[in-house]
This record gives sequence, C-alpha cells and structure tokens, in this order.
Amino acid sequence: MKQLVNAFLAILIVAFGLMFLASRLNSAEGYTGGNTLTIYNWGDYIEPELLKQFEEETGITVIYQTFDSNEAMLTKVEQGGTTFDVVVPSDYAIAKMREEKLLLPLDHSKIPNLANIDPQFMDLSFDPGNLYSVPYFWGTVGIIYNPEMTEGIDFSSWDSLWDSRLNNNIFLVDGAREVMGMALNSLHYSVNDRNEDHLQEALAKLNKLSPNVKAIVGDEVKMLLANEEAAVGIVWSGDASEIMDENDKLDYVVPEEGSNKWFDNMVIPRTAANVEGAHKFIDFMLRPDVAAKNAEYVGYSTPNVPGLALLPEDISGDTRFYPPAEITDRLEVYDNLGKRMLAHYNELFLKFKMNKK
Amino acid sequence: MRSNKNGISNLYLVLVFAVLYAPIFYLMYYSFNSGGTMHGFEGFTLDYYREVVQDTRLMIIMINTLVIALLSSAIATLIAIIGALAIQRIRSRRAKNTLLSLNNVLIVSPDVIIGASFLILFTIAGIKLGFVSVLLSHVAFSVPIAVLMILPHLQDMSPTLTDAARDLGASRRDVLTKVILPIIKPGIFSGFFMALTYSLDDFAVTFFVTGNGYSTLSVEIYSRARQGVSLSINALSTLIFLFTILLVVGYYFLNRRKQRPAVHIAEPAAEVGVPR
Repeated sequence: MKQLVNAFLAILIVAFGLMFLASRLNSAEGYTGGNTLTIYNWGDYIEPELLKQFEEETGITVIYQTFDSNEAMLTKVEQGGTTFDVVVPSDYAIAKMREEKLLLPLDHSKIPNLANIDPQFMDLSFDPGNLYSVPYFWGTVGIIYNPEMTEGIDFSSWDSLWDSRLNNNIFLVDGAREVMGMALNSLHYSVNDRNEDHLQEALAKLNKLSPNVKAIVGDEVKMLLANEEAAVGIVWSGDASEIMDENDKLDYVVPEEGSNKWFDNMVIPRTAANVEGAHKFIDFMLRPDVAAKNAEYVGYSTPNVPGLALLPEDISGDTRFYPPAEITDRLEVYDNLGKRMLAHYNELFLKFKMNKK
Repeated sequence: MRSNKNGISNLYLVLVFAVLYAPIFYLMYYSFNSGGTMHGFEGFTLDYYREVVQDTRLMIIMINTLVIALLSSAIATLIAIIGALAIQRIRSRRAKNTLLSLNNVLIVSPDVIIGASFLILFTIAGIKLGFVSVLLSHVAFSVPIAVLMILPHLQDMSPTLTDAARDLGASRRDVLTKVILPIIKPGIFSGFFMALTYSLDDFAVTFFVTGNGYSTLSVEIYSRARQGVSLSINALSTLIFLFTILLVVGYYFLNRRKQRPAVHIAEPAAEVGVPR
C-alpha cells in the first residue's frame, strides 16, 4: 500500500513539476496573457520570421496552429470549442463558410494595404466585393512534365496530353473539378460549364485519354513525379513548385486554352476573440515588404503588386508562376456549381475512373 | 532433434524481432545523417537533436504530452481500481459479463469515433478545447484498459484471504489497504503503464480535442510530416523511443521487486502488455 501511495505521489509531483516548467516556458515565450492572436494556417505556409516581426511591432502574441486540408479546418471551425482569429481557407471552402455564416465581415477601413492587391484577384465569384476574404496566395492548375522523358512534346496545349507517345505516362490528380475542368478546357469550354452536351463531350474525350493515364492519385503525386515514375502530371502550381524544388529536371506550364486559378484567402471566423488584432494581422500580411518576404519563403504566387515588384527577377519574371496577361485572362475561378451540378461532375468523373482499365 | 527444433524457433524469434525493430533502428540511424534525407548516409551530425532541443514550442508540446500521459494514467488507474472492485463485487454472473463486455467494447471501438464524439460532447458542454479536454478524453480511453489489467488479479485472489482478514478483526478499510491492494498491485502497475503508453502515442482521439494552441506530440508530428518528414522528426522519435525503453525497464524492475513478497499469484498472460 505504501508503495502504491508513494508511486502515486511521485507521479503527481513529476507531473506538476513538468506543468510548472511548461508554464515557465510558456510565459518566457509570451504565450499567456490576454493579448494573443490565434492563427490557423496550412502547414509551413508562412515565413516564421514574419510572425516574430508582427509580435515585435504590435505587442500581440501569436499562437500559430496548422491544418492539412480544408475539410479538417472546416470541422474544427464549425464545431467551435477553439477560437481562431485568422484562418486561411481555399476559395471553395470560403464559399462554403460564407453560406454557413461562419465568417465575420471585414472592415476594409482597417485594411488600407488592400489597395496593394492586383484588382484581377479581387471581387471573385466565391466572395463578391471581398466582404469576408483577402487574397493570400494564388496559383493555377497546369501540366508538369519531364522534358527528358517526353521527346520534345510541346505542352502549351491541353491536347498534347492525348499524344499516343505518352501511353501510360500521365498522373492525374484525384479531383473531379480539376480533371473535368481540364477536359472542358481542352474543348474550349469553361471549367464551370453546366451544359449537359458539353459535359458528355468532355467525358467522351476523357475516356480517350485513359490509355495514357497511369494513375489517378492524391498528395503522393509530388513524390511520384519527383521520383520520375511518370513523365507528366496534372497538378496545382503550388505542388509543381515543390516538385521542381526536389527535381529540377521538371518543368511546368499552364496551357493556352485556359485553366483554373485557385486562391487561399485570409478570413476572420465568426468566433474570433481578437477581431482588432486579426485586422492588424491581415493588413500586416498585405504590406509589400512582408508579402514579398513571405512569397520568397513559401514559393507560391503572391497577388500583391508592389510586393511582387520587390521580389528578385528570377521569381517575379517566372512566367510559369506569374503567367502573362494573355494567359491569366483565360484563367477561371471555380464557381460554386450547387450541390446537384457538383454531384453530376463527381458522377461523370467516377464514370471515367471506372472506364479506365 | 530437440536442439534443432530450438534452433528453428530461435531463428524465428530473431526474425520477428528484426522485422519489428528494423524500421525503428533505420529511423534512428538516419537521425544522425548530415545529408538531410533518408537516403544515403553522408556523415554524422547532431544538428537535428540540437534543432529539437532549441525549438521551444516543440519542447512545450513534449512536456504537455508527458504531463497528460502521467496525469491521465494516474487518474484512470484510480478510477479503474474502484471500477474493478465494483465489478468484482457483483454477484450476478450476467450483470458482470455485461459490464465486462461493455468495458471491452470501449477498448475495441475505433479511436476516430471516440475522438469525434468527444469533440461534440465538449463543444456541447462548453468545455474549451485544450488541456482539460485532452486530459479528460485520455482518462476516458485509459480506464477500460486499466480495468482489464487489474481485474484478473482480483479474480485470482482467493476469497478466503479477505474472509480470514475479517475474521481476524480487520476493518473494511484494513481489508482494502492491507490485503486487496497489495495483492492486486502488479495489476495496478501494469494498468498504469499500459495507460501511459496509450496516452503517449494516441493520435486519433487527441487530434479532435486539441485546440487553442494546446497540442501533443502525435498531433504535431503528424502535421509536420505532411510537409515531408524532416530529420528533426527522426531525432524526436529517437528521443521518445529511448524514453519508452526507460519506462519499460523501470516497469521491469518495479515488477521484480514486487515479486519478492511471497504472495502467490498466477501472473495472467495479459500482463505481458508490451506497448503498441
């Protein structure tokens, strides 16, 4: 009995000792006290130095948490329980959060740096008037390819994917909107096309692509392409830049017919505790020097015009990630198609997947 | 013939352990790689260990994890002792079996479901996600395990022992503290250590109930691993592995010491609980 009691006491003492240590560390880091700002962002999606700089400039302590998918983020935000002040969801998730009334309207007078954002990235269909969201990074969907394995095929058109030389050599990303959008684009239709004839045409065209498709994969596409498991992949530009960091033989192109452009935007959830600080943070991130530093670290495309000008020429002049106007003009944002149309897209994509032997 | 048979079974054992431990040693080996990747060892370095130690946020998370593990398993063991005593008391065989099965259901039910239901429960109850929510859920999923570890010892205990104690004039309290608890002590310790390892590595439940900047190692490692596994994760895992070994060794010596008092209890097989 004595041994039991002693063991129990020892455990308690160790536990409370550790707790004390943790709270000391916490206060040394400044994680306590009322003036905090909780940010919920994608993993490794901000230059860590900037958080420190923000803390020094404003005296607000930042608590930084990360998520790995829009869906995981949505679950946490919907459930409440934990309060986030700034969250960085993607476009379609913003549309959803807006519908479910999870967001606070932004006070534009507190975000003067909003003027730095390129107007072509403002007022988009998922948030007209930017009432709730401010662009953080953007990108495209395009083709990543390995010139050594593709015998000089020119990928500036989606149609090049149907080339018989690419037999069993293409990875597709497992997303109905992306794949259907690509097929629609290759037929010069919109990625948001709702015309049934056009959709069937796209499906028929996709079925002809089957022999060339090696696999339809998720996040592992990055590793597979970097390891040269196939010559070509349809990916988001953000993934492409990561793949090209690992294997510099690869190249990325946005086809001329057009494509999708995607956004990760900053929003303030309804449950935010420090709305004032959240506005400050958003405004801070839109400052040209900050945006430039962040873009250099993360490697995605910044929508910040003066920020872009501050970047070194080899980044800002990279037309793969900052395409010229004649291409950006053809890029489209995914509209919210509505539940039924979306289900139809999914169904067509599923048909294509099942047809593939 | 006999020795030959032994040889084969020994070989088999060695093989099984090699398969079990190879990935861990592989991971530990590369935590010293200055090359920065998991392929091709370039040179010895302690940089990643330095990185881990200098990362205050990570250290806080590591301490959080330990505190949660220690507190939750201590509390869970206390509750489990009471629970096991209560289950043992029940006369009706049917009621007892029902309770036991309900206990087992909690052990086999998927962590994801437990986690999701805790998330809903806590948000409905208005409990802020953070230390308290993680602690409560860890206590909850540890109790059934500890009960399962303690119960066999209670069942193996001869009822005559308590009768004799009472005949000799022991009060209820004395019977509990001087007879029952010492006898089931091995079960209590194994329950505690099992709960400890469960709590240390639980991801699925914890993922749902962390929040407000409070996190544990499993959750943190998972979100870091999405960016590709950095070798500092290897270093961290090595440290945790060593810590677990320390725990097991400590448990072993505790057990040895307990074996000396001449109370003869058949060691139930379940006790050879090795951490998942």
